[in-house]
Amino acid sequence: MSLPEPDNVVLEALQSRCARQDHRALSELYKKVSPYLLALLLRMLRTRDLAEDALQDVFVRVWRQAGQFEVRRGRALAWMASISRYRALDMLRGRQAWVGVEAVSEVSVSAARPESTLTQRTLDHCLNLLSGDQRHCLGLAYQQGLTQDNIATSLGYSIGTVKSWVCRALSSLRRCLDS
Amino acid sequence: MNYERADLREQLAGAYVVGTLRGPARLRFARACAGSQNLRSAVHRWEDQLLPLLECVAPVIPRARVWDKILWRTGARLTAPLTRTLSWRWALAGGLALSLGVLVSVRVLYSPLQVVATVGQDRMHPLWTVSRSADSNILEIRALQNVQSSSRSAYELWALPGQGNSPVSLGLLPRTGTIKRRLSIVERGAMLRSNRLAVSLEPLGGSPTGAPTGPVLILSDVRHST
Repeated sequence: MSLPEPDNVVLEALQSRCARQDHRALSELYKKVSPYLLALLLRMLRTRDLAEDALQDVFVRVWRQAGQFEVRRGRALAWMASISRYRALDMLRGRQAWVGVEAVSEVSVSAARPESTLTQRTLDHCLNLLSGDQRHCLGLAYQQGLTQDNIATSLGYSIGTVKSWVCRALSSLRRCLDS
Repeated sequence: MNYERADLREQLAGAYVVGTLRGPARLRFARACAGSQNLRSAVHRWEDQLLPLLECVAPVIPRARVWDKILWRTGARLTAPLTRTLSWRWALAGGLALSLGVLVSVRVLYSPLQVVATVGQDRMHPLWTVSRSADSNILEIRALQNVQSSSRSAYELWALPGQGNSPVSLGLLPRTGTIKRRLSIVERGAMLRSNRLAVSLEPLGGSPTGAPTGPVLILSDVRHST
């Protein structure tokens, strides 16, 4: 099951109101987005307490930095998802989290989504141009927050091999997404 | 490192967004982002284009206490949220205590504040005063004049706890007027342990990393009451 993406225009309007310190807007934003953000935080941090602590930090940051989004003019959800991922990465790196082989699940980077947008279809197309190993490494790093060391140990490859796959995957994706 | 080289910029921005750029290299890149529109655009493009990878997740509703804590930390509530389910006896006792807590909190919020730092380039040209309540729960920052900065940057205040501890953001400094808010536990602890405050120049909205990314412009001593 995937979460329908909230309307970007609505989210941008709520963020603008947050920039003007409107708590009601923050409440509406929280209702619309927090289940999505908590899900992605849980996938990275794996425990509910940690993920909910991170979610708090994310919304406090959104509240304080809502004005920054207006300058950036990107997609509102991408901005908040990025704040969430970076917070989770900080928490993972801060506690030197170790994720064993058993915890490394196959990542559904090419799973079909019910309501594919143009962006999703383009990304799916570009991901399908990568090798399976490249796609897998990219997904483990991006979706689960694993370090390249973790990925190498967990999958039984050398760190050099994993770094090379990730590097080539990024180059290939950039070329494809730009074309 | 030449971040303006397009291929290198794209590779590093991708690694930053995916999370494989780590440690000092990640911090250097984040600092460079603060001063380069090209780098920020590269990061934003990756963030937007990779977003669909995050959408294959089943939504999870947060527990109610998360929102309570957010309200408290953003200053919409005066009292810390309760985190346990209470029986009716405890709820009654808790209600009474909560009432007292509200009274105490209101009193704290409106209790006299003590100026603990005057922030400026030198003593003759103060820009802000930083005050806190007796229990250090409330922070007030007052702009003493109309502080100038570019429309794309902001001044951020940091507590410097020292002894190897990282700076802790105390929020953006107002260009005019006064900001008064409740400190989180982390901010309060950092404030109490700090003998100095710093002001850094950051992108509009504040540091994107949670640590100072721009140049430190001002260092000011903190006066702790004895």
